[in-house]
Amino acid sequence: MHYPWWYVPSLTSPMLIAMIATIHVFVSLYAVGGGIVLAGEVSYAYKVNNKSLLDYLRSHTLFFILLTVVFGAITGVGIWWTISLSSPLATEALIHIFVFGWAMEYVFFVLEIVAAFIFHYYWGRLDPKVHKTIGWIYAVSAYISLVLITAITAFQLDIGNWTPDKGMWVAFFNPQTFPQIIARSGASLLLASLYIYLHAAFKLKDNAQLRALVENRTSKWAMAGAALVTVGGAWWYVNLPESAKAALAGASALNILTLLIFTASAVVFFMLYFGPYRNPGWLNPGFAILYFVIGIAATGTGEFIREGVRKPYIVYNYVTGNNVLISEIPKLQATGYLNGGTWTKAFMKAHYPQVFGTDGNIDGNKLLQLPASDQIKVGEVLFQYHCNDCHSTRGFSGVAELTRGWSKGMIHTVVTHLDKAHFFMPPWCGTEAEATVLTEYLQSRSEPVPEGMKFSNINSRENTLAEKVGRGEAEK
Amino acid sequence: MNPQDLIGPFSPLGNPAPFWFITFFKVFGFILHMIPMNIWYAGMLLVAIFATFGRNHSLELAHRLSRSMPIIVAMGVNLGIVPLLFTQVGYYQFYYPAGILMAYAWFSVIVILIFAYYGVYVYSLSVKNNKHTKLALASAWISSIAFIFIGFLFANNFSLMANINDWIHIYNKTNVAGAALGTGLNTADPTLIPRWLMMFGLAITTTAVYIAFDAAFFKKRDTSPLTGSSTSDYKTWAGKFAFAFYTLGMVLFAVMGSWYIFGALEKSTFDQLSQNSFMYIIFGLTAVSPGLVWIAMLLQRKGVKRKVTIFAAILQFVVVTLNAVSRQWVQNLEIFRFKNISELPVNIQWSPMILFLLLFVIGLAVVGWMIAKIVAVEKSVA
Ligand code: HEC
Repeated sequence: MHYPWWYVPSLTSPMLIAMIATIHVFVSLYAVGGGIVLAGEVSYAYKVNNKSLLDYLRSHTLFFILLTVVFGAITGVGIWWTISLSSPLATEALIHIFVFGWAMEYVFFVLEIVAAFIFHYYWGRLDPKVHKTIGWIYAVSAYISLVLITAITAFQLDIGNWTPDKGMWVAFFNPQTFPQIIARSGASLLLASLYIYLHAAFKLKDNAQLRALVENRTSKWAMAGAALVTVGGAWWYVNLPESAKAALAGASALNILTLLIFTASAVVFFMLYFGPYRNPGWLNPGFAILYFVIGIAATGTGEFIREGVRKPYIVYNYVTGNNVLISEIPKLQATGYLNGGTWTKAFMKAHYPQVFGTDGNIDGNKLLQLPASDQIKVGEVLFQYHCNDCHSTRGFSGVAELTRGWSKGMIHTVVTHLDKAHFFMPPWCGTEAEATVLTEYLQSRSEPVPEGMKFSNINSRENTLAEKVGRGEAEK
Repeated sequence: MNPQDLIGPFSPLGNPAPFWFITFFKVFGFILHMIPMNIWYAGMLLVAIFATFGRNHSLELAHRLSRSMPIIVAMGVNLGIVPLLFTQVGYYQFYYPAGILMAYAWFSVIVILIFAYYGVYVYSLSVKNNKHTKLALASAWISSIAFIFIGFLFANNFSLMANINDWIHIYNKTNVAGAALGTGLNTADPTLIPRWLMMFGLAITTTAVYIAFDAAFFKKRDTSPLTGSSTSDYKTWAGKFAFAFYTLGMVLFAVMGSWYIFGALEKSTFDQLSQNSFMYIIFGLTAVSPGLVWIAMLLQRKGVKRKVTIFAAILQFVVVTLNAVSRQWVQNLEIFRFKNISELPVNIQWSPMILFLLLFVIGLAVVGWMIAKIVAVEKSVA
């Protein structure tokens, strides 16, 4: 509302967040879980003085750094970049609430980087005790950064007792924080194990003995991870706000996916137990790739659901999906959406100065006196700023398709009762006149009923019948 | 349209820290970011040039620079988080609209950076493994050009942020039913090019000091497998080259700086500068401070000297600091003309702030401990 809206044709700009965030999670979870597993395994290898295991872990560390320090870090910054472009108002709010959380995160990032490079470059040159310690400094820093960032995403889904006058800690310890931390901790261990399987399957192709050892040891971390995902996931579900539960129940796809993740975690647990743990030696590149793909798919779906059930909010009960502060809605409904938005108002002033009343606000009656083609144009402005966060016209969740065959009256009813039509849409935040011009726009884009359907013919015959009734001819 | 109309309202949450605190961390964080950023900004181009055309010492320099480049980039990117964070805390009403107006260019920074960063690794690993392929060479060039282009995009966003008068023109040209298309750039702003190249000049000077520092402290006493010459030969050459390179950077910085101040800056800003005697002095120091480092580099033109190098490094830190302070002052001046953003009510978050400052100090101590450990290793080898 306070910022220009970034229009990305067909896709909608918030979809860019979803894309970057998903690929980031694949690597960032590994950056955390991998750090813990590497520190743990290096400690073990020093303890039993296993030279070849140490050599393997060293080669894995390079792979780890190349992926996490570059791709993981840059896509992480990339999320920040995209939310500031596609969700500026929500980002503004989150930044003001959590600024010091992010600042702390930065301290731990720097620790991570320094520790990771020393851990790798000084391998074999540091005293084992120091080397181990540096591994753990990395692991702990990475884990704390997971905790900090998870609290923020958890807050978006449920602000708990937070109100704008309360500080960061109330926001931090919301009902979603601990379940999400546990689920993500598990996912990070599980995913890290899958990366290790993948790497070891290729790297240790010709060393069956060492491969079996790596497999067996890694599977313990993986099973712990699978258990945590299940516990955290269940707790997450129990603690979900009612709206999110309803969203899950209502969207059959999401429901099935959730069930799938739970089952997959359990199946993975048993597969790990009977596979690498009890019968090491099964690991070959094919299996490793299969496991890896399943892991990536499960993680991606999990994150997708977490994001999906948040609608209609970006920050629960604080910022709506169309970048409006909840507290502003009554005013917008009274004086108009176009009037309330900084850029929409400036745009209207420049292009349609005639619709402004003497009080400097847009006058609904004057809006409806605009020629039809201009009303449609103004309706499009409303669409961009009120709907384009979630709907494109013809592409992703396109309204042209969603309103296929709808009459003007139906569109108008849905526009003015968005939150009643679907509780995961925000309420209509404009005036009656604005709803009318938006309806004009939507109607102008709406697809017709597909041709050749019997059913629509029957409909039109009924109409004729009704018309006949109207003329008193039907009884004959 | 009135430019004022495009500035959004204050956040109802208030600022979590006093405005001076936000500005301080924005500037301080930027200084810490600028040092590694400068080294890759100018350094990667040097790597590409010397990797292609260099012989003996210059080729060795390319290899030395590229070996530490992955760490420098990793540090620099992370150190960039704090200035960006505090920019968003204090300057959101300007930072977000500017970014959105040029959304595609701004978004592309991430994509380009991933390529640039992997390019650094490809070349660095090829040097490490002694496998000099065409791909590695191409990667060095791609990285260096990508970094310079990213610099151009940053110069765009951060100049557009304060160039509020031009928002309207860009918006009018690039909107679809009132929504920004995100295809704008701040190219109509006369300060853009001098700003961009001024930073590049500064980057050359910082890199020159780094080259001298690296030769003085990190160069081991052995004969180089590459040149067959001794360490002291390299140190002599590095002193000479660093001096020449510093001179080049200083000239570019001076030319672009003059263009910026006298040719591009808005007259009213310039006038306000001449009326504020404190900032007048700071600006003067910003302009002449590289001269002091230049003298320290001059003293090393026949070979790097550890003590003089330390002195040069400290002075260069001052040069970078003065630069960051002057920039912030101009930015505030340009923005405050439209809105006094220091007036936003403050709602201090004490305990998170204190915890952050505490962790900052602890983090520094832990980093110090880790570095002490590797210094001990290096000493025991030497
Ligand atoms: C926070 C996101 C969000 C916003 C903002 C939003 N919608 Fe929706 N809307 C949805 C979702 C999700 C659906 C379900 C889509 C589907 O089934 O594919 C939906 C469905 C619809 C439907 C189909 C309803 C049905 O019962 O078939 C229409 C029409 C619609 N939206 C119109 C709009 C209009 C007009 C606006 C702007 C005034 C808007 N929406 C704003 C999320 C949103």
